[in-house]
Amino acid sequence: MISHYGIIPPERVENVAVTRLILRDGALELRWFHCSETAEFLGDYFSVQARVAKLNSRDAQHSIGYMANEILENAVKFRALGLGDIEIEATLQANAFEMQVMHFVEASVGERFQALLIELLKRDPGELLIERIEANAADSSSGGSGLGILTLMSDYGASLGWSFAQEVPGAPMRLSIYATLTLV
Amino acid sequence: MEIKTSEYRVWVEGATVYFEGTMRLSSNDAYAPIQEIMAKVLATAPPAVTLDLTGLEFLNSSGINLFAKFTIEVRKLAHTGLAVRGSSRIPWQSKSLPNLKKLYPALDLAIS
Repeated sequence: MISHYGIIPPERVENVAVTRLILRDGALELRWFHCSETAEFLGDYFSVQARVAKLNSRDAQHSIGYMANEILENAVKFRALGLGDIEIEATLQANAFEMQVMHFVEASVGERFQALLIELLKRDPGELLIERIEANAADSSSGGSGLGILTLMSDYGASLGWSFAQEVPGAPMRLSIYATLTLV
Repeated sequence: MEIKTSEYRVWVEGATVYFEGTMRLSSNDAYAPIQEIMAKVLATAPPAVTLDLTGLEFLNSSGINLFAKFTIEVRKLAHTGLAVRGSSRIPWQSKSLPNLKKLYPALDLAIS
């Protein structure tokens, strides 16, 4: 079964250069700093292409870096143990940066995340961001769940989509996150 | 008061808290020592606290949450104001700092 939330990735145009990275959760383990290191790499790499395309390369570097870091932080935090590889695909065509991040989550994590997405996608992200910040401030134990997604949509104008694929009930879900940014 | 790592530095001069480098810590708990420094400055009850972010190149959403929570803390106080200094050179600041002003319209926000 596959459940979709937010935007659905379009069919990829042929002959588009796709940058692929796999963060292997092997003997050396994935650690928190791998998120920022990978995000910085993607930001740097695509900022060069942005400069060639006469876009604002500094803004591209920061915006891509922020988006990749937020998505990868969630992936590292919530990946299923033993199925922990994280696959990343990214493209830049004209001023459209797109990335997909795929990894597995345990069924219970996937179900909680889907419930959160239903709440987040119902409302204007800017309004909901402020509302959630207020709620988080009132609850000192809150970790700010969903704020990364809301900042991406509200502050960066990112479009996001998620699909959860599960072969049988209770099994880990393959989560694919699709994110796009319009660079300036 | 100062916290210095290979990634970032946070220090206090008077009622100004300076932030420099890249802060992408993993949780509220990881940000707690920084929150403590900010709370100590607030506890001295100055007329205004300034957060100088002009050297803070990168921040994750947990860090944005830290500044938002602090803004709400100051908003509750009758005799202490809040100023935030940012840089237009650093893209995240122009995109995300205006949210602090939405939380606390009296906040003195300057992104220069």
